[in-house]
Amino acid sequence: MSGGGGAGLDARIALTRGTTEVDVALTAEPGQVIGVLGPNGGGKTTTVLALAGVLRLDSGHVRVDGGLWADSTHHLEPEQRGVGLMLADSLLFPHLRALDNVAYGPRSRGVGRGAARARAHTELDRVGLADRAGAKPAELSSGQQARVALARALATDPALLLLDEPLSALDPDTRARTRSDLATRLAAYSGVTVLVTHDPLDALTLADHLVFVEDGRVTQTGTPSEVLREPRSAYVGTVVGLNLYAAQGDSRGHVRTLDGGRIVTTGPTEGAVWATIPPTAVSLHAHEPEGSPRNTWRMRIASVTMQGQSARIGLLGDVPLTAEVTLESVAALGLRVGAEVWAAVKATEVRTYPR
Amino acid sequence: MTAPSHSPTRYAGRWPSRIVLGLPAALALLLLVVPLAALLVQADWSRIPSDLATPTVLPALRLSLTTTSVTAVLCLLLGTPLAWFLARSDHPVTSWVRALLTVPLVLPPVVGGVALLLTWGRNGLLGQYLTPFGIQIPFTTVAVVLAETFVAMPYYVLAVEGAMRGLDPRLESVARTLGASDLRYLRTVGIPLVLPGIAGGLALAWARALGEFGATITFAGNFPGRTQTLPLLVYVELERDPQVAISISIMLLAVSVLVLGVLRGRWLR
Repeated sequence: MSGGGGAGLDARIALTRGTTEVDVALTAEPGQVIGVLGPNGGGKTTTVLALAGVLRLDSGHVRVDGGLWADSTHHLEPEQRGVGLMLADSLLFPHLRALDNVAYGPRSRGVGRGAARARAHTELDRVGLADRAGAKPAELSSGQQARVALARALATDPALLLLDEPLSALDPDTRARTRSDLATRLAAYSGVTVLVTHDPLDALTLADHLVFVEDGRVTQTGTPSEVLREPRSAYVGTVVGLNLYAAQGDSRGHVRTLDGGRIVTTGPTEGAVWATIPPTAVSLHAHEPEGSPRNTWRMRIASVTMQGQSARIGLLGDVPLTAEVTLESVAALGLRVGAEVWAAVKATEVRTYPR
Repeated sequence: MTAPSHSPTRYAGRWPSRIVLGLPAALALLLLVVPLAALLVQADWSRIPSDLATPTVLPALRLSLTTTSVTAVLCLLLGTPLAWFLARSDHPVTSWVRALLTVPLVLPPVVGGVALLLTWGRNGLLGQYLTPFGIQIPFTTVAVVLAETFVAMPYYVLAVEGAMRGLDPRLESVARTLGASDLRYLRTVGIPLVLPGIAGGLALAWARALGEFGATITFAGNFPGRTQTLPLLVYVELERDPQVAISISIMLLAVSVLVLGVLRGRWLR
């Protein structure tokens, strides 16, 4: 992570907008993609708009490549910063051709018409749309619009690229293709990218480093694999698809969740810990199972949802759980909402780590 | 998965309600339509060309066209920036300004004329400073333009402000990150995207200015060639030769319908 005068991004965004008090620190080296995740209304977009200069900081600072863009007394307007902004619904200028949309940035920064158009052609070519230069935004598909918006944001050589839910307005097929286009283009970009998303797949495939923002605060940071292994908030647990419990070490081999549930584990059980249980590690039984040291809980089924060849079963009991089982078990055990069932998890499947 | 759609044929009600509601509804329609029909029926259509060639008509027509055009240009040049500020501001003062703007819409035009006299008259609020320079505003063509602008500007500003509020504010954020100053954004994106609203506002303001009577006759008088616009001429001719008044009225009606048709198709719903 870069220091005060180094290259890259060094920011602490602190401001109040509406009812949300945001205080988020972000640092990144040139070429890095920071994924910012979190529930809606948690301060992600506020963070992006403050980095862009559209919103002013109450306190904190934004430094990019050693230059001060903003602090509590100093504020560069968006047009004075080197920043590219791409939003969910592309927001192309509807009356301008794709080429003129992309050339808009260079033109606004004083580049001559010919040079700006040449640059726009290059940028459109990089996102594979050189042949659509003359099309108006309404004549482009949503995926093409997103790619033009990316080309437009990069045509000014910004030091900081801000992508706010760049794929969320696209249908699933288009999203997958545009995501890979985006990955290709970002790999060739030397500045810092801040990618705001609520789609874990975007974050895991595009970002080098993740920052989770909930209720205006950073709740967890780390590389995607660190976060996948050790989620540290209920939201992050949901995002990475693990059952996550804040727990306290009990007698040896046991932890107790804050709701009072008791979990047997082979992991460390000293002090405050997080405990995770993968949904696939949960087995369901009609009768109380016996055998090796394991967790067994009597549960009531709260929800059943299908997902391809498997089903996700929401279970309520001492330790609320989500289980992933085959469709066959659903039929064989007669799993339906309201039914009672035994859930079993091997102690070795329960991971614990300090809180 | 979609919400139940409304049947294309709407329920028109049972017989009692059709009568209870239908009778006043028909009466309302008649009150509006019959006068217009009367104008068309009573007109001596063969006389219209010669009536419009009456020596008094041409100067009034010319005056109406010039003053309404100048009014339209004033709306465009002064009203557009005002609409811009109103559209962008969330300041409490803005809503007061907007409320103030609607006053000329509902104010009796004669009262507007009196207010203009008290402003620009020899001893008026502003007029007293012009008098020493020998500048006199009331009862001149300039007064006609001021009266028309007074009644027409609010229509223009409110129409354009509405169009500008319809713009996604994030477009400006994007433009500014691309390096555009707010003036460049206005010139290259903001104005081009609200052109339909500007055109609609201009048509509305121009039509209102063309029909202006009360404020004009109070503040500018009724001098042929100088302040006598078409509506004022209609008023005069009604005493002298009603058929000429009818012919001019039909011309003004045709213009109004034309403006309305242009507005309806593209900007009003």
